[in-house]
Order: sequence, then structure tokens, then C-alpha cells
Amino acid sequence: MNLLNPQARFTTLLENETLARLEKMRLLPRRRLTNRTRGEHHSSKGGTSTEFADYRDYVAGDDVRNVDWNIFARLERPYVKLYRHEEELHVVSIVDASSSMQFEGKFERARQLAAAFGLMGLLNLERVSVFSCNHKGKDPVFLPPCSGRVSRKRLFDFLEHVEGGGDFPIEQAVEAVLRRHRGRGIAVLLSDFLTFGNLEKCMNRLYSNGLEVFAIQILGPSEIHPDVNGDIRLVDCESGHAVDVTSAGDLLGLYQEHRLALEEELGILCRQRSGRFLSISSQDSLDWVLFDLLRRKGWVR
Amino acid sequence: MTWWPFIASQWAWLFLLFIPLIIFYFLKLKRPRHVIPSLALWRSVLNDQRVNSPFQKFKRNLLLLLQLLLLFCLVVAAMQPFFPSGADRAKYLPVLIDTSASMAAVDHGGKSRLDLAKEEIRRLIDNLLPEQRLCLISVSSTARQLTDFTDNQRVLRDALEQVQVSQVSSRLDDALRMTQALARTFPIETAVLYTDGNVPPEIDFELPFQLNYQKLDPAGRNIGITAVNARRVNDRWDVFVRIEGSKGESDTDETPINAEVILQTAGRDPVSESISLTPGQSQRIVFPIEGEGARRLEVQLKPLDFDALAMDNVASLDLPAGRPLAVYCATELESYRHALRGIKDVLLYPSDDDDSKAASYDLVLTDSKTDLDLEAETFIFIGVVPDDLSKLIRVDDAVGQVIDWQRNAPLLQHVLLTDLQLADRPVSLEGVRDRDFEELGYEILIQGRSGPLLVRKEAGERALYYFLFHTDHSTLPFRVGFPILVSNSVQLAQQRAGLSEVIANQTGILPPLHLQPEKEYQVQGPDGNVSKVRSSVDGTLSGISAPLNGRYSIRDGGTELASVGVSLLSVAESSLGTVDQLQFRELKVGAASTLLKSDRPIWHWFAVVGFVLLLAEWWYFQRRPGGILAT
Repeated sequence: MNLLNPQARFTTLLENETLARLEKMRLLPRRRLTNRTRGEHHSSKGGTSTEFADYRDYVAGDDVRNVDWNIFARLERPYVKLYRHEEELHVVSIVDASSSMQFEGKFERARQLAAAFGLMGLLNLERVSVFSCNHKGKDPVFLPPCSGRVSRKRLFDFLEHVEGGGDFPIEQAVEAVLRRHRGRGIAVLLSDFLTFGNLEKCMNRLYSNGLEVFAIQILGPSEIHPDVNGDIRLVDCESGHAVDVTSAGDLLGLYQEHRLALEEELGILCRQRSGRFLSISSQDSLDWVLFDLLRRKGWVR
Repeated sequence: MTWWPFIASQWAWLFLLFIPLIIFYFLKLKRPRHVIPSLALWRSVLNDQRVNSPFQKFKRNLLLLLQLLLLFCLVVAAMQPFFPSGADRAKYLPVLIDTSASMAAVDHGGKSRLDLAKEEIRRLIDNLLPEQRLCLISVSSTARQLTDFTDNQRVLRDALEQVQVSQVSSRLDDALRMTQALARTFPIETAVLYTDGNVPPEIDFELPFQLNYQKLDPAGRNIGITAVNARRVNDRWDVFVRIEGSKGESDTDETPINAEVILQTAGRDPVSESISLTPGQSQRIVFPIEGEGARRLEVQLKPLDFDALAMDNVASLDLPAGRPLAVYCATELESYRHALRGIKDVLLYPSDDDDSKAASYDLVLTDSKTDLDLEAETFIFIGVVPDDLSKLIRVDDAVGQVIDWQRNAPLLQHVLLTDLQLADRPVSLEGVRDRDFEELGYEILIQGRSGPLLVRKEAGERALYYFLFHTDHSTLPFRVGFPILVSNSVQLAQQRAGLSEVIANQTGILPPLHLQPEKEYQVQGPDGNVSKVRSSVDGTLSGISAPLNGRYSIRDGGTELASVGVSLLSVAESSLGTVDQLQFRELKVGAASTLLKSDRPIWHWFAVVGFVLLLAEWWYFQRRPGGILAT
């Protein structure tokens, strides 16, 4: 079977079967934050697409080409045909590529999800861009906005070759991205959100820039259920800072409380800004996340 | 009692380890590094107020506290503490273990007294302190040192396991003398005696040390055979069996003990009789046995109720073949020969018809010293002064008179000697007292006015009676008592020859046997063990140990020369009676009311507590907390 041969795969990030299923899916943002340029997302305003939307009375000044002459012949009153306006949605994926994401397949899962969201955007003729944030103070590596099926290869090539490692906190990474990004739409945040910084500020910035936040927290199994006990010295992989913990086993209950509190806080931050939040494990099946969890949560259809 | 109950106090310096322990604890030198993606969550956890609550701080220090406790336990265990018993510790302690037959008596739980003693001694061995030495000595009819003074618990336990009950009566003298001998080498202050209390109450011994008399709990009720003997009556034997019942743990239990006594004779049907004995009483049963030939009898007692001691339920008796008594009577003693002719079952030598002689005799009546060379067991010399008494006594030609005589002596029973007139008068030389006769082995049976008239001496297997006056020179042959005297002499000879009465042999030592002089024989016991013994110059085989019930076979190569049956037959052992006080020469020793206390090493308890603390520390600090919130 050629499909089992890695050489026959379209990308190393996703299985061909997954790609095929993703091509049939579309993003479902809560808000219709679209660009003026044409796209496939229907605008709330009247448009010039071929898809009929409604009739209204003719008023002076209207283009007579839009009058429905068949109705006029039957009713002897002029009515103007209205069409749906289809505008472009910008899907920007911000991948946290810092060292903390290098544990237990978190970065791998982030790239896979970025590829999945990007693919859904490209196949729906949205503008898709991807930012990978590594080192603090440096500009994020990014894939310039692109659209259309032809850009799939670029998207996958970018994500396949993006490197991990660094100490870029997610809130500063968002700031750096927003300095470059232009366009309204969806901001997919793929990170573990384990930061000492203030996430509220970056969420506000995203909201004010017309980006609906799709935040996915990716944690490793050892972060969800830490296997630590006794007296240990915990070392931060990014900063190298250490914390001495005595009888760590006794603190695991408290740790769980704080981890769930962080999830709750992130969820509130997102929901207050019409965004969405999910926390998954890097060990969760990708197919389950994409085709079950996201669908059930209404992120995609 | 010591206020410092540690054996190895020198290890107290280990307490200095507290210092590095505390230093290392606070330096946390061994805290393992654990790299994690981010400290963000752990920072917030550690900043939580609950982590820094006083209780949490206490929990941090609890680890140090547990470690200090653990170290404390280990150091104390290394110092080998012991629990003082309250008594002075004996460094060298001889342990005397009664292994007499009564120690095999069981209680209703099935435990023998020896088992109880072993339990106590095992506890003593287990609690042996390093500087203490024990010596095990088994006590039965003799004493046997089982171990030297040693602190090797394995050696002591092995020796203790080898201790078995001997089917003999108990005697403490030997064991105490052995302990006294040990006390010359080792500083023995106290000896401990484990016994059921079935020991002789009076002991002819001067205690040079303290004796801790540990009396074990009494056993259950017992019924046993205490004596078996047979008496010849005309052409039959009357076998007498004495059965004794004893009280057990409950002195108030007066329920009769039922049993069946079975007498088995080779080649004949067994005879049985049922008995019912009240505890503390005895009963004698008579079994008539017809016939003349030699035979072996075995008496079995089958208890129908609980019986504490099994080894006293069997006894054996060998009946000799009936034969006439061979009597040599010098022809000059016509009065004696006349009297002997009227007694049944007596072969008189030399006979009246010819001058025939026998190879051996049962009784010799003579007035000649040279007849001592005859082969016989009982000699009665008339008018003969033995050579060894010639320095103490002389015989005058004067009238003598009887002052007193031993009326219970077998030879003089029912013989009235009042007003007996003597023409010879034995006179003790000046300064000679009765003690001088006793020192030479003579017992005075008839005392005259100026000296002894009849003396008796046991010379090996021979019984020698000397009339120091000639009876023909007295009125004795004309007295009614004379034929009684002759009859008594015949009965005496019959008893010594085993022709009139036989008594079953007791365990302990086999009765002497007469075999070839200075020859080695093999003795096979009931357990199959064979030992070699050598006969003496006169052919006597004696001093053969017989500690077990059953038959002992004396062999010369493959030929069995004799078979001797022995049985316990001890009233003292079967009665299971106990004494609360031992009477020594100068003092009394009472039974201890409590078990012997010994200093108990408790180092292993500290080691166990240390191990438990280690487990608790591991469990408490390494466990996953319960109630992890569901994710």
C-alpha cells in the first residue's frame, strides 16, 4: 500500500486520510470577522455574489441592472435583488515553539493542529498565515499569508521545518505576531500557556485586532499528572531557574487545583472575548481531537 | 539491677551522627533534580498560602524528626539494651533439667512436663545476654552435663532438643555435686532447677550456691504399676501387682480412675482384671500362676480414662523354674540336719546314704571355716569366729546370756531367744565397741551380755552369718525356736536363690549377673543400642545402666546368655507427687512462686521500630496524595 509508505504521504505531519477528511471541514467562528476582500465567508452586508439573498423595494439611485424584471412584469412594481456578500477570513496560527513545548510531543501536536487549521483555511479560500515563536526578543518565524489549495505545500513545508526551542513567553509572542499581522479573522493559539506573564493583555490585543481566539492548551501527561514525590529540585527548562519542593507528593493535590484553575482562567479570558478554549493532552489521539472534540465543541463542521 | 541497661554502651558515640544528619538535612545535599517544562504552576503551588501554613511547615520538619527517630532507634539497638528482670544477673548459670520418668507426664493439653521445661529454658536461651553463659545438665537417677558453659545459642538449643525423659526415678545429689564441681572452675552463684517437683524432699548435700527451684505446673491424673512380685506357694506362683492412682491438676477431682490389668504369660491366654481406683489410693491384685517351669510375665495396664504417664503401664517379671533347695550341712551338725530333713523341697548334702556332693549350694550350714570355699550364696557358720573378728573378740568357756536380738531379721523371725543358756561366751575385747564391728562390715543380730553372739556380713553376692558360739553348746537345739530358725535359714536361702519370691527389676541399673570372669560381653537394650561391659575378677557383671523399660539382652558374641526385663515400678514417679520445699543439710529451698525472670534483650524491638519508622517515612512522604482532583 502506497499510503503506508511515508514517501507517498503528502506531509509528514498528517496522514493522507486525515488530510482527506480535513478537506471537507470548515471553521466555524462565532463572530464574522472578515476582510473586505472577497472570500468564501458570507458577509452580513449585501454582496455581489451569485448567491441570492433577498428582495427589497427599488429606491431612486439603485442600479437598474439589479431590478428583477420578472417580478416587475408580474407585479408592475420594481424590486431589487440582493445577493450575499462573501468576504475573506484570515486564519493566523500562532505556534508556541519554546523549549517548554519540546516535552512529550507537545510541539509535534501543535504543528499538526496548526497544519489542520491552516488546511481547513486554505481549502475554504481563506488567507492563512503561521507564526512560530522561539526566542524572546527575536522576530517570530512566519509563513506569509497565503490562500488556496495551491498553498498547501507551502504551509506544510513551513510547519515541517519549523524548529523548536527558546524562551519566548506566549504573551510576548502574541505581541510580536500582532506587530506583523494585518487582517481580521481567527487567531489559533497553540501553546501550553505555562507562563509567568499576563495573558489578559494579549487576549485584549487579539480581540481589538479583530481576531477571534481559538486557544488550545497542549499539556504533556507529566504536566497533567506529575510523577514527582519526595524532596526534589524542579528546574525550569527555559529559564534554568530551580525551585526546591519538599514532600512533592503531598503537593500534587494542590498542583491539580492550580492547573485546573489555570484552565478555568484561560477559558474565561477567551469566552469573555468571544473566543474559545480547549485543553488537550499531547497523548490524545489527533483524529479524536480533530474529528470528535472540535466538532462537538462547535469549532468546526 | 543496673540503672544502665545497655550491654554495648561504647556504641553511644553513634549519637554523634545526629550532627551530620541535621546538617545534611538542611543542606539538602541529595535533593534530585527534575527538569520540567515550566515552573509556572509549581511557583503558584508553592506560593499558595496553604503550603506555607504552620501545619505544612511542621510536615517539612516531620521528615527530619522521623530521620532523627530512626537514627535514635538504630543507635540504641546497636547499644544492645535489655529489659532488666529486677534480679542480679548471673554470668554463669547452670540449668538443671529433671529428666526423670515423671517429667513425661502430660496434662490435658498433651504437653509433657519436659516440654514445659524446654519452653522455659528456650526462653532463657533466647534472652541470653552476650556476657552470660549457660550450662545444661540433665538430672535423672544420675546427672549428665549436656553442654559446657557457653553463650552459643545454637549449641544450647541443639543440646536442649536432645534432652529426653529417662524412665528412671530422680535423684538430685549427682547433679548438685556436678554443679559443685563446676563451681570450682566457674564463679557460680546460682543454679536453676527445672522439675515437676517429683524429687526426693530431703537431699544429703550442702549447698554452696543458691538454688532456684522452678517447679512446673502439675500434670493430669495418672494410674500406673508400682510393684510386681511373685511368691511361691506350693506348686504355684502368686503374682502380686500393685496399681497406684494419683491426683492430677485438680486435687478435688475424686472421680475413680478405671483401668484394665492384663497379665500375659508366654504360651498362655492373657488374664485380665478391671480395677477402679480413687486418685491417691492403691490396689493390689493377685494372679495365681500354676506350673513349675521358668516363664516370662508381662503386666499391662490399659487405662480407660485419661492417664498422664504411659511408661508406668507396663512391667515384666521373670519367674524362675522351680527346684529343690540344695543345702550343705556338715555331718557334725546333726541337730540341723535333723531339722532340715523335715522341710519339704530340700536336698540335703552330704546325704545320709552316700557322700555325694553338689557343684553348688543354696545354703551352707557348717562349723568349719574351710567350707567358705564352697559355691553358695548363703552361709551360716556355727561356733566360728571369722579371722577379721579375732582381733575384736574372744570366746571364753563360760556361761553366756542373750541380752537382745533383732526380731525383724529374716533369720530370727519368730525365734524366741529369751533365757537361752550358752556354754560359750563370746567376749568383746577391751575397748572394742559395736562401731568397730560395723566398720568391718558386720551387723550384730544377737547381742550377748559381753559381746555379740550372731553377726551378719554381706560379702559380694554372699550372705555370711556367724554364730560366734556353738549352738550345740547351748540350749538352742532344745528350744521351740530352733526348727523355726532352721526354717528361716531355708526361706532365706530360697529368697536369695529366687526360689520363693521374685521381685520385678526396676529401671536404673541391671541386677548383677554371674558369668565368666574378666570377659567382655555385649548388652543390647530395648532401643537396640549395644554397649560392651566387662565382668569382674569373680565373674560379676554389674553396674549396667538400664534407663529404659524393656528387656536387656546380655550376649557373648551371637549367643544370648541372659535376658533381664526392667520396668519403672516407682511409687514416687507414678504418684506424680510433688514437694514444695527441698530440705538440704542446713537449709530449705522452696519452690519459686514465679517463673525465672531473665534480662530480656530488646535491641531487636528498636530495630523493628526503626524499620517501621523507615517504612512510615517512605510511605508518608513518597505516597501519592489521596483525592487528586479529577481532570
